Amino acid sequence: MLSAGVDRILRPVHRWIWRDSDRRVRKLLCFAEVETGGGRDILRAAEITRDPLLRRLYLAHAIDELHHGDLFRKRGADMLRSSRTSSAPGARAESPASGHGLDDLRIQDEPDETLLAFLHLSEKAAAGRFAIYRDVVRDDLPTQAIFEEILRDEVFHMNYTFTQLARLSPDSHRKLLWRARLRRLWKQYLRLATAIADTFGTILLTIQYFILIPPFAWLAKRAARREQAGWTTLPPDKRDSLKRQY
Amino acid sequence: MKILGISAHYHDSAAALVCDGMPVCAVQEERLSRRKNDAAFPIGAIEWCLDHAGLSPDDLDAVVFYERSMLKFERILTCVLRGFPRSWRSFPQAMKNSLGEKLWVRGVIESHLGIPKNRVLFTAHHQAHAATAFLTAPTRRAAIITADGVGEWATLTVGHGERTDRKTAITLMREIRFPHSLGMLYSTFTAYLGFAVNEGEYKVMGLAAYGQPTQVDLVRRLIRRTPDGAFALDMAYFEYHTSAKRSYSSRFVDLFGPPRNPYEPIDLNTTEGRRHADCAASVQAVLEETLVDIARELHRETGLPDLCLGGGVALNGVANARILSESGFERVFVPSAPGDAGCALGAALYADRVYFGQQERNVPDHPFWGPSVDSNELLRAATEDGQDLEQLDDAALIERTADELFAGAVVGWMEGACEFGPRALGHRSILAAPHSSQTRDRINRDIKYREEFRPFAPVVPIEAADRYFELPPGGARLARFMSAVFRVRPEWRTRLASITHVDGSARVQVLEREMAPRLSALLEAYGRRSGIPVLLNTSFNVAGEPIVCSALEGYSTFRRCGIDMLVAAPVVVTKRGHSRVKSLKEQALA
Repeated sequence: MLSAGVDRILRPVHRWIWRDSDRRVRKLLCFAEVETGGGRDILRAAEITRDPLLRRLYLAHAIDELHHGDLFRKRGADMLRSSRTSSAPGARAESPASGHGLDDLRIQDEPDETLLAFLHLSEKAAAGRFAIYRDVVRDDLPTQAIFEEILRDEVFHMNYTFTQLARLSPDSHRKLLWRARLRRLWKQYLRLATAIADTFGTILLTIQYFILIPPFAWLAKRAARREQAGWTTLPPDKRDSLKRQY
Repeated sequence: MKILGISAHYHDSAAALVCDGMPVCAVQEERLSRRKNDAAFPIGAIEWCLDHAGLSPDDLDAVVFYERSMLKFERILTCVLRGFPRSWRSFPQAMKNSLGEKLWVRGVIESHLGIPKNRVLFTAHHQAHAATAFLTAPTRRAAIITADGVGEWATLTVGHGERTDRKTAITLMREIRFPHSLGMLYSTFTAYLGFAVNEGEYKVMGLAAYGQPTQVDLVRRLIRRTPDGAFALDMAYFEYHTSAKRSYSSRFVDLFGPPRNPYEPIDLNTTEGRRHADCAASVQAVLEETLVDIARELHRETGLPDLCLGGGVALNGVANARILSESGFERVFVPSAPGDAGCALGAALYADRVYFGQQERNVPDHPFWGPSVDSNELLRAATEDGQDLEQLDDAALIERTADELFAGAVVGWMEGACEFGPRALGHRSILAAPHSSQTRDRINRDIKYREEFRPFAPVVPIEAADRYFELPPGGARLARFMSAVFRVRPEWRTRLASITHVDGSARVQVLEREMAPRLSALLEAYGRRSGIPVLLNTSFNVAGEPIVCSALEGYSTFRRCGIDMLVAAPVVVTKRGHSRVKSLKEQALA
């Protein structure tokens, strides 16, 4: 709910992001990775659950997600071919933005109820976001058609996850959904905190690199110049050598 | 003694358990976590190994890690220093990457397993490769070559090993050190050709068959031979030693042209597609000639008839076949898991035989060390889903499967313990008739979802191998774990179209009955129907996923791709005729 609201407020930002074809390609390829990864996670859930009905539903859901991944990948590749944008080689997923999968959970350790609650919320959030994307790519009919198709599937995913959650936990499914919401919020906070810490770490290490490293770099380069290419003869092994990490 | 070997943190982590000198089990983490090339600390694999053997961590006499993490860190730091100031972007990344879990392996193992620090041991990376190759091979004395991207500092080592009843010795005589690396050279071309490094190298090998080595002279500018018989790379063409972002430099691009867009399919009918194939053929040719030269020199030096090959480069079947034919060695042994995953087993065996000096024992000569398939799981799931299933005795199952294969069905085949290593060698395989190129196209399109240019491998009984394939002396042995590429005899190529690569070769698996009796019986039964006891054998997975391990993973793969029949003896599940034309989603919901 919260993220949907934020997404609505950020609609102009989304419009700006999707306007540029380079960014559009990167987004599509990123979604391809996320959908495929999510599909594999849900497949794992299908392999683990003891509930036959859930196995069938998870499998159908996983097939959808894998198909969505293919759709995004093909569209991204098509756009790449036609526009020859700079994001071509090595373009990889940026961040797992839409969060379809169960990548925050250890699937084998979680009961079906928890997975369903988490999936339901993920699908709902993704549907809200994809609806916005569908609207902001009106100038690009093939991409819009992909979002249309995916949104149709999302309805099925949202419905079955909620129905099955209510079937498995008739008395506590609302509580489970709230717990999943809080867990998602906590995970989002952790992701944000990690990203901030990562940025700080990078800045501090870069500063250290230019302040502390130069003399050692000079020594290392001097040593490298003395090294001869080719074979290096190895001394005989010592019996106690397995104790050393160095 | 009970010794656990671990490989982790780079790619394809694994655990292996050796008890009283014999391997008990070994499994890659990816098979359990279902994340391809999972590099995480293999806690799932460790837990499975201990459970399988009925041990607790306290029962372990030693836990051996497959490389010296501090020495590796020294190499990373030194390379950053040498690359100053160009390495300013990679420095923070390298430090964050190393200073987390990777540098503190002893503590990580101690905290996960709760064992005292003094029970945690470390082999050198290439020592572990050498041990995997030598101590699992049926030979008493052999020369050893290990080659991969990089371990701590070494990228290629040569040496020899000797096993007597009283003592085992593995002596690595000399090494080539980072950044000069055959593995990195090949991986750089893998990245340049738009494939994922550490995963797409075999695609380069497959693509090479479509090209001509017209750019060999250009590749030789990148790699020069040194007077002592080794090689050195011209680092002006590379960036992997200073950058984590790109492995080739602008100069490399000036020399070979623009890199391939990974999202664009390779079209071999275009000039660009042919250029990529020629590029692959050229680096393949240079790799082969360098390895053959080094092997030939080692043969002259040691005078030994046997060679054990280890390291990721030993997965290059075309190069392995040339080494066998041209280096002078009579027999070449490549383990089923020559890459980093195999180091878990090698490290444990090295500690047992060399460090603790335990008595030599012959290691069983098969690759099946992983979790076993439970057909009851399949029976339960297929029954609950209302699938067409049968339970057959062994003879009926073989005949039924052979009938289906002969009728053109594609069969998912699971039996026993899963393979340790990247190849499906008959326990987690997709099998099909090898006669028509349409079968190959169908499996690529509907089942594996992979590139058209990639070939499929055949499996053939050892008694019939020579009839269909041009095997040199020692070839059958090298093909035991699908470690070499040999030529299909010209007269059989049209009748073995789905497994014959464009250059007339095939990465054949030569099967001895004792290794996989049921598959062997199936080959015989199929031979009685078709006149040719050869089957297409490809790994039981779809693109981007690890090979299936459990029956349910096989079942879910079966249900969402074009496999017609799934076998986990004694259970056989068949897709109904009408469901074969239904969409995958409809089938799943049916």
